[in-house]
Amino acid sequence: MYNEVYKNSKVRKFYNQIYDWAKSLPENVIVKKKNEAENLFKKIGITFSVYNNFDSSERLIPFDMFPRIISSIEWKRIKKGVIQRALAINAFLNDIYNSGEIIKAKLIPENLIYKNPAYEIKMIGFKVPKRIYSPIIGSDIVRINENIFKVLEDNCRTPSGVSYMIENREIMMRMFPELFEKLKIETVENYPSYLLDVLKSLAPKKCNKEPKVVILTPGSFNSAYYEHSFLADLMGVELVQGTDLFVNDSITYMKTTRGPEKVDIIYRRIDDKFIDPITFDSSSLIGIPGLFDSYKSGNVNICSAPGSGIADDKAIYSYIPDIIKFYLGEEPILENVKTWRCYEDDAKKYVINNLNKLVVKEVHGSGGYGLLIGSRSSKKEIEIFRKKILLNPENYIAQPILELSSVPIFDKKKLSPRHVDLRPFCLVGANKTKLVDGGLTRVALNKGSLVVNSSQGGGVKDTWILNE
Amino acid sequence: MLSRTAENLFWSARYIERADSLARLLEVGYRISLIPNTERGYTNEWESILETSGIKDEYLKKYKKISKEKIIFYLLFDPENSSSVKNCIKTARENIRMVRTAVTLEVWNAVNSSYHELDKNMKDTKSILKELPEIIEWIKRQVNLIRGTILNTQLINDGYDFLILGTYFERADFTARIINVKYFILLPSINYVGSDIDNFQWSLMLRSISSFRAFKWAYGGQEITYTKIIDFLILNMTCPRSLIFSIEKINHHLGRLSKFYKQTSTSNKKIGLMYKNIKNLNANKITEIGLHEFLKSFIEEINFVYKKFEQKYFFGLET
Repeated sequence: MYNEVYKNSKVRKFYNQIYDWAKSLPENVIVKKKNEAENLFKKIGITFSVYNNFDSSERLIPFDMFPRIISSIEWKRIKKGVIQRALAINAFLNDIYNSGEIIKAKLIPENLIYKNPAYEIKMIGFKVPKRIYSPIIGSDIVRINENIFKVLEDNCRTPSGVSYMIENREIMMRMFPELFEKLKIETVENYPSYLLDVLKSLAPKKCNKEPKVVILTPGSFNSAYYEHSFLADLMGVELVQGTDLFVNDSITYMKTTRGPEKVDIIYRRIDDKFIDPITFDSSSLIGIPGLFDSYKSGNVNICSAPGSGIADDKAIYSYIPDIIKFYLGEEPILENVKTWRCYEDDAKKYVINNLNKLVVKEVHGSGGYGLLIGSRSSKKEIEIFRKKILLNPENYIAQPILELSSVPIFDKKKLSPRHVDLRPFCLVGANKTKLVDGGLTRVALNKGSLVVNSSQGGGVKDTWILNE
Repeated sequence: MLSRTAENLFWSARYIERADSLARLLEVGYRISLIPNTERGYTNEWESILETSGIKDEYLKKYKKISKEKIIFYLLFDPENSSSVKNCIKTARENIRMVRTAVTLEVWNAVNSSYHELDKNMKDTKSILKELPEIIEWIKRQVNLIRGTILNTQLINDGYDFLILGTYFERADFTARIINVKYFILLPSINYVGSDIDNFQWSLMLRSISSFRAFKWAYGGQEITYTKIIDFLILNMTCPRSLIFSIEKINHHLGRLSKFYKQTSTSNKKIGLMYKNIKNLNANKITEIGLHEFLKSFIEEINFVYKKFEQKYFFGLET
């Protein structure tokens, strides 16, 4: 296991100052600061927007004060790699919804695309604005050793967590301003203006003035509502619900006190199937009837495009290195994790015989659900998965159990290592890509655990990219 | 501004005002409960409190008979009563929460902490009567705190107008209803004029809108007469609970919106007319028309203004 702070029991150079600082904090100060951080979270949460300073059930993913540091050299490579993937993914989406060159070239099996439940038939042949399907991509990156960062998965629909990236920084700056004098740390506060800029570059065909951007939320009871209103607030755009929008004569409007106002770009934080009850799930109450028609007639852009989700399907994931080579003619900068596709006979054979050494994932699952970690599961659990895989091999992939790198947390009163991953947020607009120098570090708070998802005992840390 | 935002602001202020009105009604009820029940007419007071707040039927469905403890609980805390004080504050908070960024942090904190403190003040039916004065004081204090933060911290923009309009639409409606439920005690009648009962009933009515002292000031400590009460509650611009005061405010803020958006609506014309008419009235004329008839048409007209205002700004229908 790679320890990001120690090397041969010595503290790495760029962690020196932080390590000394953390060690010098008296126990009572740690406890006090922890409480302070929690209170600040509540307060800042409120200042920025919503929210529930008492109904903390919705919020308050545990925050750890020990920052995760990435050197500028390491970051440069991650950044390049993430941008490369984001561009390749958009080229891939554009291809499979149009001429399907990658299928003709027999690089990806036809069935994997056209029979994939995430493939949206209604999008075939439609030219999305500026050919950008997925303008916001959050790739989950793990560190294996000194030199190797690997991408565990890409999130192309509506990746969340960016509000934590910004808030974590805000908290650290308020609590420990002295650290920011000692180290030069890249800022993350530009994210909302980058996002607005990128979205504005994706105006639909029939928009010939300054485009009007809105964020579409399922409503205040959604678990990510906090983030939706946070972004709307910092971007200075309206946060709308389905009932605030309507379509007339293929044009999308929002209801305002001045009367109907045309909307050009919708950053939607609701799933494909809910966006338009006429075209998709007819039982959707949070969608806008006629929105898809308005979209296809070039009057409004929906970001991300319906059907983008196929690119983060776990079966497609294993082809990303090929996808990068095919569209960009480049070698992948960031590696994939070795993946066995259970629909391939050899792979299936290997997987069912080595389940105790593997992580098995459902192809369409997310959030750490539908997952088997072989080394930590009972014989019975393993048997259940073996049967499942044999019954329905297309539905599963398997990966080796990764030893994620570790960074210390303040456990009770002392430092103790925990596994982490990293999610940078890459923005892709018309002829431009933007990525703030930072990301969300998620940390598995339970000792030895490899699952960083907030729904399963994960917390967050501030992530510092050094400016050297 | 999004129509929904305007609507949420309007209703949050409206529910706050409603909670305030309920607290004042309960205050009257409390005073009565301190008076021996032998005098005729006094126990009816609880019934008319239910009537004024428009929830008598629902109450009777649940509790079958009139009991002051139960009525108090029903008006203050009962979760099944959609317009209990608790639900008013809860709904106000939910409305503001939806549009959190349209109000200042101070306003949000005032509303939010009222909501959370309410549970601490919640009492069961046994001790509720004893605790009532304190609870009422607390509600009034919270409402004043919320209103104060609105006045002192909000930008005076269209959002502010929607907040203020919520307050005065509710107040106009409430004052009209409270006079209407009691209009019979304001009728000139040979049997009652000048009697103790009259005086007591009238003073209760003034108290229920927190205007007992104000009345004394406004009329220089003169004897209470029904014409003076009509004048005070309906036509006196110095009384913040009078109908004319609410109408003037609504007229003013609808006018501001119209200017702000450079659009006019039927509601502007109608409220302008109402204001003009009420300015030219006097208490004797109202008695001539008939107090009940006057109030009936007043309530209808103000509802009409609200409907047009709602269609224009909340539903986006041009009128």
